[in-house]
Amino acid sequence: MSENVLKIEHLTMRFGGVVAVNDLSMDINKGEIVALIGPNGAGKTTAFNMVTGVYTPTEGKIALEGRDITGKRPDEITKLGVARTFQNIRLFSSMTVFDNVLTARHLRRTSNFLTATFRLNLAEEKKMRAETEALLKEVDLWELRNEQATSLPYGKQRLLEIARALATGPRLLLLDEPAAGMNPQETEELGEFIRQIKDKFNLTVFLIEHHMNLVMGISDRIYVIDFGKQIAEGTPAEVQNDPAVIAAYLGVEEEGSDA
Amino acid sequence: MNNALSKKKMDSATIITAAIVLCFYVAVFIAEQFIAPTSMLFTVLKKGATYALVAVSMNLLNGFTGIFSLGQAGFMLIGAYVYGIFTIPVASRLDVYQYYNGGLVQFVLPWFVAMLLAGLVAAFFAFLIGMPVLRLKSDYLAIASLGFAEIIRAVMQWDKLGPITNGSNMLRLFPAFNDFNIKNADGQVTVYLSTLVPLLIAGLCIFVIILLINSTFGRALKAIRDDEIAAEAMGIRLASHKRLAFCISSFFAGVGGAMLAMYQTTVQAKGFTTAMTYEILLIVVIGGIGSVTGSCISSFLFVAASEWWLRFLDQKQMIGDFEVPLLRNGFRLVVFSIIIMVVVLFFRKGIMGTRELPDLIRGIGRKNKRPTNGRTEGVRSEGLAARNPRPTNSEDAGRNNKGAAAK
Repeated sequence: MSENVLKIEHLTMRFGGVVAVNDLSMDINKGEIVALIGPNGAGKTTAFNMVTGVYTPTEGKIALEGRDITGKRPDEITKLGVARTFQNIRLFSSMTVFDNVLTARHLRRTSNFLTATFRLNLAEEKKMRAETEALLKEVDLWELRNEQATSLPYGKQRLLEIARALATGPRLLLLDEPAAGMNPQETEELGEFIRQIKDKFNLTVFLIEHHMNLVMGISDRIYVIDFGKQIAEGTPAEVQNDPAVIAAYLGVEEEGSDA
Repeated sequence: MNNALSKKKMDSATIITAAIVLCFYVAVFIAEQFIAPTSMLFTVLKKGATYALVAVSMNLLNGFTGIFSLGQAGFMLIGAYVYGIFTIPVASRLDVYQYYNGGLVQFVLPWFVAMLLAGLVAAFFAFLIGMPVLRLKSDYLAIASLGFAEIIRAVMQWDKLGPITNGSNMLRLFPAFNDFNIKNADGQVTVYLSTLVPLLIAGLCIFVIILLINSTFGRALKAIRDDEIAAEAMGIRLASHKRLAFCISSFFAGVGGAMLAMYQTTVQAKGFTTAMTYEILLIVVIGGIGSVTGSCISSFLFVAASEWWLRFLDQKQMIGDFEVPLLRNGFRLVVFSIIIMVVVLFFRKGIMGTRELPDLIRGIGRKNKRPTNGRTEGVRSEGLAARNPRPTNSEDAGRNNKGAAAK
């Protein structure tokens, strides 16, 4: 087996009496694209929120490249190399496309507020801008750099969110329903795009998705959860033929298309 | 925010802005030499400069970081006291601290050092208060910071602190704005600077705030304002950045307090009421939350309207033999309130929205070429813009253009 990037052990999250995630264990290896699927309300986003530090798990352990990150703050985890996008797009609405990505370079700064205010960090600022430019060209948003982020078409906003996540310099990229609201053609392009950036930026990708075509098309492995509990794990082919999955999930496949 | 367009164009707009500011300073300098120093114009400019600085510092917090704090008067109070305490000439201390045997502090700092210290002490208090207060959100934070300002006001009047703060008695006889005038040996003023210097101090401080806003830290603060969760997920540490904004804002509020002390020539804790914070909040809202230019313009307008232009409403006025009805003491405030309501009704986003002066200049230069991308009003309604981006946006742009043209 190759190098382990993310290791989740017996993760449980309770909100009062509700068990959102129940004893979830996962392993994600370097260079893989791993999907987490499950019916609505299965606890997928909760699992994401624990990995990224938004929630502190009630029980269990999360390790990033062998380092325990359980209960760390979101910004600390991002600094360690985990970037994410959001299910409902969360761009910086008052900023341009360019500034959205530029802001995500902030965490790699070496300047403090005094050197930044009095422009003693010009070299660094220049470098940040150059990196932003390169990244925007990479994802084909350079032409739109001066547009208000929220004025972009929906698909481009999703793309921008991914670009912004990439700007933090991650090794593990978490995508929360990246194809939500996209039409089939856009979804197909997105799948291709995810694979491209994975190779180009040397990433490991962990995604939540409802579009089965996308999931089955790009994932190396799939975890299926229902009611917070893992019910299957394996390659797309294995998962598709798993009777537990068919019972719990694929029987209601229709809801995948309206997600 | 302003990396828009080609670099060349941005530079020219910035240069024009700088030129406008420079012209303003030159005009003030010339006016000061020729117009009688008792003119209301200078009162307005001095107080306006002070309020502009405090309003911009509040805007840094409320407009650019999205922290709704109402502690500004408290930090001004600290600044004013620190300035007063350390600049009263030793010879005058027995007079000022008459109930406390001249007080504890028996040395004097130069005015600019005292002013800097005023800011630093205010920032230090902000640091301490920020630890608990910044954990709160929106309204709760506002209430807590308001409470702090009230507590500070009470503490400053505490008798036991008298040897330092002079208790509930006023501090006076410290260097004021009028001491900036250059006098000859006979005590006659040769060069009037009492208005220019405060404007320069405020201008310098505001310039530093603008630099901060346009730095990588400014972008991080705006990110926190736009979306805390996303900002944190992008590796921006919320606690430290909010604290930074809080301390810097308080630093400049402290400097503003020192300026207010110089303007008033006396300092007394009971003058720094909640009403003062509200005045400044009003200036920020009218000017445009998130616009430095707006805060500056509206503070001068606010001070001019409240101190000067509407004064005639407080007295009986005769047109020929006809006595204008309603005019009496206090009527000014009625009219003033109505004006504010009208402004808020017709300029929902304040006079400037989130635009700055260079944006306006750019807007004029570009107007005939292509529509502005609606980077101001309306766009913050995220969901709407996301679902139906193009039409909403062009509509907004049209509206903005009209708005700018109307002005």
